[in-house]
Amino acid sequence: MAGRDKPDLPAHRSLFRTILAPTVWAVHFLFVYGFSAVWCAKDWGAAGTLSWSITAATLLALALIVGLAVAMWRQWDYMDDNDYIHDLSTDEHRREFLGHAGFMLACLSFVAVVFSTMPAWFAGTCL
Amino acid sequence: MTDLGEGSPRLDSRRRDLEKDQAHVARGTYPPTEESLTRPIDPEEAEAQADRLRAVWDDPPGWRYWSAVNNSEVGVWYSMTAFGFMLIAGALALVMRLQLAVPDNELISADRFNQFFTMHGSAMMFLFAVPMFEAVSILLLPAFLGARDMPFPRLSAYGFWAFLIGGVFVMGSLLFDAAPSSGWFMYPPLSTLDEGLGTDIWLLGLSFIEVASIAAAVELIVGTIKCRPPGMRINLMPLYAWYVLVVGAMILFAFPPLIAGDFLLELQRSLDWPFFDPARGGDPLLWQHLFWIFGHPEVYIVFLPSIAVAAMIVPAAAQRPMVGYNWIVLSAVGTGFLSFGLWVHHMFTTGLPSISLGFFSAASEAVVIPTGIQLFAFVATLLAGRVKMILPMLWIAGALAIFTVGGLTGVMVALAPFDWQAHDTYFIVAHLHYTLFGGMVFPLIGGIYFFYPFIRKRTLSERLGRISFWLTFTGFNIAFLPMHLTGLRGMPRRVYTYPGDVGWDTLNMISTVGAFVVAAGILVFAWDLVRPKGAPMSTRNPWNAGSLMWSHDIPDQFWGVRSIPYVTSRNPLWDQPGIVARMDQGGYYLPDAREGLRETIVTSAIDARPQLVARVTGPAWCTIWAAVFTGGAFIFPTFSWYLPALLSGIAAVACIVWWLWTSTALIPERPMKDVGLGLSLPTYVSGPSAPGWWGVFITMLGDMVAFASLIFGMFFYWTARPDFPPPQAEHAAGGWVVASALLYTASWAATRAARPVQRRGRVPLAQVLLTAGALTATAGAAALVLSVSGLDPTSHVYPAMLYAVAVWTAAHTVAGVVMQLYCLAGTVWGKVLPEYDAPVWNTVLFWHFMLVTALGSAAAIGLLPRLL
Repeated sequence: MAGRDKPDLPAHRSLFRTILAPTVWAVHFLFVYGFSAVWCAKDWGAAGTLSWSITAATLLALALIVGLAVAMWRQWDYMDDNDYIHDLSTDEHRREFLGHAGFMLACLSFVAVVFSTMPAWFAGTCL
Repeated sequence: MTDLGEGSPRLDSRRRDLEKDQAHVARGTYPPTEESLTRPIDPEEAEAQADRLRAVWDDPPGWRYWSAVNNSEVGVWYSMTAFGFMLIAGALALVMRLQLAVPDNELISADRFNQFFTMHGSAMMFLFAVPMFEAVSILLLPAFLGARDMPFPRLSAYGFWAFLIGGVFVMGSLLFDAAPSSGWFMYPPLSTLDEGLGTDIWLLGLSFIEVASIAAAVELIVGTIKCRPPGMRINLMPLYAWYVLVVGAMILFAFPPLIAGDFLLELQRSLDWPFFDPARGGDPLLWQHLFWIFGHPEVYIVFLPSIAVAAMIVPAAAQRPMVGYNWIVLSAVGTGFLSFGLWVHHMFTTGLPSISLGFFSAASEAVVIPTGIQLFAFVATLLAGRVKMILPMLWIAGALAIFTVGGLTGVMVALAPFDWQAHDTYFIVAHLHYTLFGGMVFPLIGGIYFFYPFIRKRTLSERLGRISFWLTFTGFNIAFLPMHLTGLRGMPRRVYTYPGDVGWDTLNMISTVGAFVVAAGILVFAWDLVRPKGAPMSTRNPWNAGSLMWSHDIPDQFWGVRSIPYVTSRNPLWDQPGIVARMDQGGYYLPDAREGLRETIVTSAIDARPQLVARVTGPAWCTIWAAVFTGGAFIFPTFSWYLPALLSGIAAVACIVWWLWTSTALIPERPMKDVGLGLSLPTYVSGPSAPGWWGVFITMLGDMVAFASLIFGMFFYWTARPDFPPPQAEHAAGGWVVASALLYTASWAATRAARPVQRRGRVPLAQVLLTAGALTATAGAAALVLSVSGLDPTSHVYPAMLYAVAVWTAAHTVAGVVMQLYCLAGTVWGKVLPEYDAPVWNTVLFWHFMLVTALGSAAAIGLLPRLL
């Protein structure tokens, strides 16, 4: 089925869906920062446990981001027409543009979440 | 005319989900047919239409010129004012450089030096960088979007007058030797103990300007998503508009924490509520958090608009579309997000746990990825095109070089161990000036050279521009490159003098010389800007650029565009041959102003489908009065004149209500209007199709962020202090808290219920509901205040925090009740009819947020402390 005949759903018109992956990054970031701040302030236990808790949160966030990336990749639908420039005023181009941008944002968010987990392993101390 | 009603073959292309709440929806043909776009136009009729448009959009004559609200006027006033403040702040820097030129200098006193560096930083940030972005965007955005004006012209004017009053007030304090002197980030306890008025001037004056900034941000966001021309879907937006959208959203999330911080700090200064006093359970670090949650994104709020300017210049210089449009959108949005994860890197030396420092260090390094992507996209575009080294491009090239140096030192100071060495030295001063000159000043001046032909219909001097560039560029590097070394040799920032022979003398002298070379460069530019320039240009598109802006009229016309085009490309002037001629002939939408009203087309947020002919507001004095009285409400408390402040606040509200009542959401003479090309649009919509609804939504989003910052404060004290809440502390009265939560919920429910009731025409019942809503809301606020009234806010930070949350919520209730009463009055005096009910929609939307605030405060005051 050619791209222009594919169904165009309200979700495909959602800018919020496109920025969901960085929002996952933001929530993850706030969580790891807040959680370790409280952990350190309230002396909740060994730093090793903290590192593992953060890693668990990271795995959850990464799973969500991968899920979003897949959804956005489908919306981009690159394999269909190898289209990576979306400069026409059509439903298809808008849909693929939002998918493409969302997919790349998911990739960036993936890297950023990995970045904000690394301190748990390389600087995982409350001192 | 093809009707798109029931049974029409093109029914699929409708957007039922966007129209379900509308009394009237678009009818006719959309998108326009090829036939309608090429149909010949009667020149006589076109001339009559043009005359009517001209009459409607013209500026008022004589001294009434100052009541104008056209984006083209307000934008120019705004940017010239911001530029003036920049020159003053720059002059302060020159005096500081003179003072530091030689060791043990006595040119100015230590206190004056403190005032100067404080005002230099504050003015450059709050009176130049952010307002300049907003000013330039107000000026340019409608042209990029082929719109007649911004959606709320009077709001832009209000923002400008507020900015002018606040800026003059804050800057004027320098003349009375009373300027703020605790540094532009106002750290307590220095700022809380400071005895003069300086800190209060800073807190109240700048809060006032921040409110104006948020108003402009709301305007710009709504302008970008609702005022695009038909056909300009989100994937076709000019990159400038993308950046405006991202930066507007960032302002919405960055400024409110600072406003919350200002609120707390001013409460401590005027009422002695000990938020930052450790002896009574407070903590100065909370201010640092709130300030830098604002302060770091602020750097990107300053930087991204300049990149946006570069993103318009680079394709024009390369004469080809931008390479990697998607990548730039990715990097703009990505930078917008990641820049919020950096704030603690200004606090690396405050003794936070190293794991916390690690998160912020990592995020600081991560933000390099999107920032780098956009620079590489520019380089790729230049490589792929045939570059004409036009003058604006020279400034952009200089900007890229300088910004890259600032970025590289940024990577260094983002590493906590390096930062511990460099913190508060001249190395930081050098780093931040490299990022801000490269990320703001150079692109801005380049942008002014690029856009000046659009703004003033004349060109700036090529020769003066090159002289100015080379003076500024070399002077900048002479001034700031040695500062890296001065800093590494241990010179701290913000010292008014230093001893000789510790290895800083020569470096400081070189920096001072460089500073004056920069000043010479900026003055050459300033002269070029204001000098008389003779006849207007003969060509409309001097850079042969592709954006809609360059369809502008010479000589200038105030209508924005003669007719609003149907756009099918990212670079319409390159890809849609004949579009400018057709626009000029009035061959697109809305070529006429038959009713004598200022109108523009409002389209849907994503696909830019026409939804509404918006009647926008015209020249007015009430906006200036509103700004004056709002200014009074902020400025009088500086001198502890609380009664005049209160009266001024009431007068401001009265002006705003008058302004809204007399000029917004007016009942149209006909529900539909033919806008040309076979399309008719409603003249009035309510709810999510209406720009006003979006304005409320976006404002309240920012308001929620401020509220969340207050609640963050409570959690912060809980983690940072062992005695929050103190053992055996008296809590808020539980019964009153529960009563308040119930009353607020009742008020919300009544308001929400009033909307469909009113729409169905049962007006008396709606009036009862609105009255009940206003009464229960007032009672709810009273109950909330009563719940904490037994506590002493000066005794400890815990009761002070409960008070602050209660005061915040009660103040918002005033706004909520005013809105309910506005709707009530509207139903009584025919301003709100069942079919025309936009104010009710906006009030209900406000009350959704109000309910969250009220229940959040009830939980924070009554429930949370008992659980912690």
